[in-house]
Order: sequence, then structure tokens, then C-alpha cells
Amino acid sequence: MDFTLTPDQAAVLDAIDRLGRQFEAKPTDFDGFALEGNELETELEDGGYFDIAAIPEMGPVTAALAVERLARSPYTAEVALSMLLRPQLGMDLPRPLAVVENGRPGRFVDRARTLLVIDGETIGIAHPDAEDLEPVESLYAYPMGRVTGALSVQALSAEQADLARTWIRVACAAEIAGLMQAAIDATVEHISVRKQFGRALGTFQALRHRMAECAVLAGGVRRLALKAAWSGEPGDAALAAFHAQDSAGKVNYDVHQMTGAMGMTLEMPLHLWTYRMKALLSELGGRGGQAAEVARHCFAGGSGDE
Amino acid sequence: MDFDWTEEQRDFRATVRAFLDDNLPPDWEELAHGPGSAVQTTFSKQFCGALAKAGLLVPHWPARWGGRDADPWASFILAEEMWAAGEPRGGQYMNVNWIGPTLMRFGSEEQQSRYIPPMAQGQTLWCQGFSEPEAGSDLASLRTRADQHGDVYRINGQKIWTSYAGHADTCFLLARTSQGKGGISIFLLPMDTPGITVRQIPSIIGEGDIHEVFFDDVEVPATAMLGEEGQAWTIVREALSLERVGIPRFALASRMLHRAVEVLKRENRFSHGAIDQAARAHAACEAARLGSYNIIDQRCHGQIPGPEASAARFGTVNAERLVAEFVVEHVPEALAGGDAMLQAHHQRAIVAGIASGAAEIQLNLIATELLELPREPR
Ligand SMILES: Cc1cc2nc3c(=O)[nH]c(=O)nc-3n(C[C@H](O)[C@H](O)[C@H](O)COP(=O)(O)OP(=O)(O)OC[C@H]3O[C@@H](n4cnc5c(N)ncnc54)[C@H](O)[C@@H]3O)c2cc1C
Repeated sequence: MDFTLTPDQAAVLDAIDRLGRQFEAKPTDFDGFALEGNELETELEDGGYFDIAAIPEMGPVTAALAVERLARSPYTAEVALSMLLRPQLGMDLPRPLAVVENGRPGRFVDRARTLLVIDGETIGIAHPDAEDLEPVESLYAYPMGRVTGALSVQALSAEQADLARTWIRVACAAEIAGLMQAAIDATVEHISVRKQFGRALGTFQALRHRMAECAVLAGGVRRLALKAAWSGEPGDAALAAFHAQDSAGKVNYDVHQMTGAMGMTLEMPLHLWTYRMKALLSELGGRGGQAAEVARHCFAGGSGDE
Repeated sequence: MDFDWTEEQRDFRATVRAFLDDNLPPDWEELAHGPGSAVQTTFSKQFCGALAKAGLLVPHWPARWGGRDADPWASFILAEEMWAAGEPRGGQYMNVNWIGPTLMRFGSEEQQSRYIPPMAQGQTLWCQGFSEPEAGSDLASLRTRADQHGDVYRINGQKIWTSYAGHADTCFLLARTSQGKGGISIFLLPMDTPGITVRQIPSIIGEGDIHEVFFDDVEVPATAMLGEEGQAWTIVREALSLERVGIPRFALASRMLHRAVEVLKRENRFSHGAIDQAARAHAACEAARLGSYNIIDQRCHGQIPGPEASAARFGTVNAERLVAEFVVEHVPEALAGGDAMLQAHHQRAIVAGIASGAAEIQLNLIATELLELPREPR
């Protein structure tokens, strides 16, 4: 057990952090939902960052840290599945990747070159033609899209499907960890400055305690996501995704409540993080889906000890 | 970043488990019931004596005091295994975690040679005399007085909620030597000193835990003071920073959650509602575990744990609550003679957010120190 980063990991994450800082301000003239980070994506591509999980000194835990860090940016790009899932299946999966769950619109589907098509218990891979995909207007702050044409789907074996589900869960948890932290940071900043009744809102204990509880949840989500990325165990992944989706509900409510009407505007970037979290709440069956997996893997018998 | 145990750590855990297997009596789970009871105290002395002989009581202490300078992981693995087994060390865990180390750091030579060896041999029980009827969360407002008369101090006042006081040999006592926060001093007070009266307080949490302690003209030599006059606040802050993640409560909570789920599975009752709640409680236990590990990791790297220790503590409070609620809702018979250990866990879990400081105080600290929100007006 050692939570410090190796010098190699620290160097890569430093570089990612510097990149993240270039993309940390929402442009003042942007008042939409999906703030697309095309430039960010190009930089990641050029730097070879999408492949860090496959480098032995880095591994998926470094990729999860990168996903978490980049999710804090107001700009979004398809990062999580590319960094965490793509290296796992042992096949060539051109990015961007997207998940189509039971025919619903999904994030990044409009531009995906690889689709993970989930249909009940089965998962298949498709490489769609651009004309079979279309963008969908949505409140979720990701570019959303759907499939319009017929896909040629290659079904994954049961083991590969399980592996895919595990890494979709890790990706989901790592992304929520970053989104949650960014939403908390923005809210802390807001209530530290905004004064009512002659005091900063952040001096009222009723709000301080709720923010502190959000911070505790966010820390837990982050660590469970990292542990799952480190182990690749399906139980760890389901637990991390469960805790992420479960906590996101409370955090989303609290941060919007505390930012008042300002948080309802498209001027404040809060929605970029909260509505991305909302997009992730339903992934792989939502909390009920993760709980069933937790039951299968973590309560399979035994005492639950380390 | 590595979430794996080293081989040495794995071996150490296995050694501790083997020791527990060999040394806990078959009726241990019934015994584990009242952590400060006479039966438990007697058992703990025997158990801790055996632990000491096996080199497992104070491995993280310096060799000079009977330890082997093991790193903080060793003491935490030990604490996890002990707590998960129902804490057979009883109140002696306090000696091991913070009273011994605090005496090593601030005690006089005489105090060290008098008090530390019996702790290292597992033969002595201490109690912590901090809280008073009018001074709970606001500990600095405590009123118990220690007035100097020549080379003795005369102590008058009252403590409350004092765990283990009924059988304790010595009290780690906070008393006022002058006004204000800087006017509090620490005394190491033998509990058989004339003028001390102890009364047990019947409670939900089991026999022998909490007490009232009265001090009527109790005289102690000035040499019983730990550190200097007025130094209590500094010493206690440091001592309790060791304690914030001192009890790995998630370890027993997790074990009891799994036990409760096994009951449901056996009876074919582990279905939707229960599954969701079990997942939530399990996530809280594991989040608390990793939050605590984060603090131990910081200690291993020579850092002084900051506000993240409060976050780890609050995470543990969440875990205790969710597991206790799970058991009450899904295995209610446990609290009606059904399972002594599930009941003992319940009795420990309900105080998680109160004993050793209210959870809300931790939330205040997280808000100010971790989130850096502006302070509340005073
Ligand atoms: C099982 C058990 C064992 C204990 N053992 C010991 C022991 O061995 N030695 C010892 O000295 N003490 C012991 N205590 C006492 C413990 O330290 C106190 O109970 C604790 O510090 C809280 O004080 P209080 O109970 O007076 O609560 P109060 O201070 O009266 O507070 C009650 C509640 O009010 C809220 N609150 C208080 N202050 C604030 C604030 N500033 N902001 C927001 N909310 C607030 C919290 O919810 C708190 O729980 C023990 C307690 C228990 C339950």
C-alpha cells in the first residue's frame, strides 16, 4: 500500500495537469451545453496520452488519474473510454469510442469510430459509417448522438463483455470523480464570495456541513475509482461506479442549491459538470445495475476482510 | 501508486489472525459485549499480556519501550484485525495508540519508567478524563480545577462519559490551572487516590463503558503533571491527531455487513432493496478504508495528517451508520438475542459520530481547512 506516485507517473500527470490548466476557463461568450474540447483532444492525441495505460510504468491507475484530472476541465473530449477501456480488449479500436446502451442516445456517439453496443446482456463492437450517426440536442453537457442506420455488430465473447463492462465502470467512476471535484470547487468559490445577510454564504454552517459532506463523498469516489483501475477487479469496478453514481445525486443537488439562480444560468459553468454527471447516472443500469454486480462479486461469500 | 500489501505486511496480518484464532475463547463473542466490564477488563489483561509476549502489542513503539520500531502500517493492520475481532484489547488500545506515545514524547523520565513498561506488558488500563457535564464539544470550557498548594495540586470537579473508569488504574486528566484555553494542564492521576468517586452510567452501549468521575480535594504531587503547566492543548491536539483514524471502525462494520448478508442469502432474502443498501454500505466501508489508508500512507511518508484525517473520520461515521441501519432493517433479530456480535457492533456503531468528538466538529474542520471556506463568525 503506497499512494505516492512514481516519478514517471508524476511526470506524466504533471504534463496532463499543465494541459488541463490551458483549458480551465470557459470562454465568456459560450452559453451552450456541450463545450467541445477539440483542441484539447488534438493535444492529447499528439502527446500520445491516450495510450498511457499500456505503458508498464504507468498502467491504468495513471490513466484513471489523467481521466479524473481532465474531467475537471469545462471542455470535454472522449477521454475516459479511450484511456481506460480501449487498451483492455486486445483489439484495434479506433477512437473516439462511445457506448450505445439499449438503443438510447449516448455521449460522443455522433463522432464515434468505435461503438460498444449494449443490448441487454450482450455487448458488441461496431465501427459505424459517419452517415449512420447523427448529433442529438440535449441538456447533457457532452456532445450526444444516436445511431440512425443499420450497424454491423460483432458480438464479444462473454468474458470480453465482462471485461468491457468492468472498464466502462472504471471509466465512469474516474470521470465522475473529476466532474464532482470540479463542481465542488466551483461551488466553494461561489459561496466564499457571494454575500447575503452581510456575510459570505460559506460562513453559514448549514452550507459548510453539506459542502464538507460532499467533499468526503468526492474523496471516496476518487479513491474507489483509482483502486478499481489498479486492480481491474469487476467487484471493485462495480463498487466504484455504484459509489460514484450514488454520490453524484447528492452532490448535484447540493451544488445547484447553493449557487442559487446563478447556478441555473449557462454563464456559470456549473452545468458543464453537473449535467455530465447526470449523463453518467444511467450508465450500465445505474445504481441498481452496479448494486447487482456488487452483490455478485463482493458478497459472493466470505467475511469481506482485506 | 500501489494498492497491494507487501509480503511482509501480508505475513504480519496472517500472524495477527493466527494469534487471534489461538487466543480468543470459544465464547468470545458473548464476552465482547461490554467493552469496559469487569469480565472484559480481566480478559483483556490476560490477552494483552499474551500479545506482548508474542511481540504484537506495541510493534510500532521504539525498541527502548518494548517495540520494534515498526512503521504505521503495522500498527494499523494490527488495529484493523483487533477491532474487526471485537477489540479484545478492551480499553488498552488507547495505551497502544496514543497514551504511550504521548508519554514518550512529553513525559518526565520518572513518568515514563513508571507508566510505560506496564503498558508494554499489557497489564494496565487507563481512562481519558476530558469531557465534563458543561464541556463536551467545547472542551476548552472545562471547569475541573487543579490548585497548587506547595508541591501538590488539589483537584476538584467532575468528569463525565469517561470510558473504562470503573476499572482503570490511571487517568489522563485535563484540569484547569488558570483561566482560558492556555490554562489547562494534564495530570497522570492514579485512580486509587483518595477523593475519587466513580459511578457507572447505564447506557445503550453496553456494560461498563461510560462513567461519571468526581474529584473531591484529590491531592497529587506536582510531578504528576505531564509536560508544563498550561501545555494541555498542545499535547492533546497532537495526541488526538493520532486518534482521528485510530479506530478502524470500518473493519468490523464491513465484517458485520458481510455476516448480515450471509444471513439474508441463507434465507433467500437477499433481493432488490437489500442489495442496493448492502452495496451502499459496502461502498461506504471501502471508501472509509481507503480514506484511512491515505492517512496512514501520509504518516509513513513523514507527513503530519491534515484535514483529510477529519474527512477519513467522517467517512467512517457514514460507514458505521449505513451498516448499523442495514442490520436493523434486514436482520432485526440480531438485536433481540439473535447474534451477540451483530448486537455488539450496533452498540459500538451508534457512538461513532459522538465518542472522541462529534462528527459535526469534523465537518467544521473539513469546511475550514480542506475546502478553505470562510470561517463562521464567533
Ligand atoms: C461511548 C462514548 C465514550 C466516550 N468516552 C469518553 C472518554 O473516555 N473520555 C472523555 O473525556 N469523553 C468521552 N466521551 C465524550 C465525548 O468526547 C463527547 O460526547 C463528545 O465530545 C461530544 O460532547 P457532548 O456529548 O457533550 O455533546 P455536545 O457538545 O453537547 O454536542 C451535542 C451535539 O451537538 C452538535 N454540536 C456540538 N457542537 C457543535 C458545533 N460547534 N457545530 C455544530 N454542531 C455541534 C453535535 O451534533 C453534537 O453531537 C465519550 C462519549 C461516548 C458516547
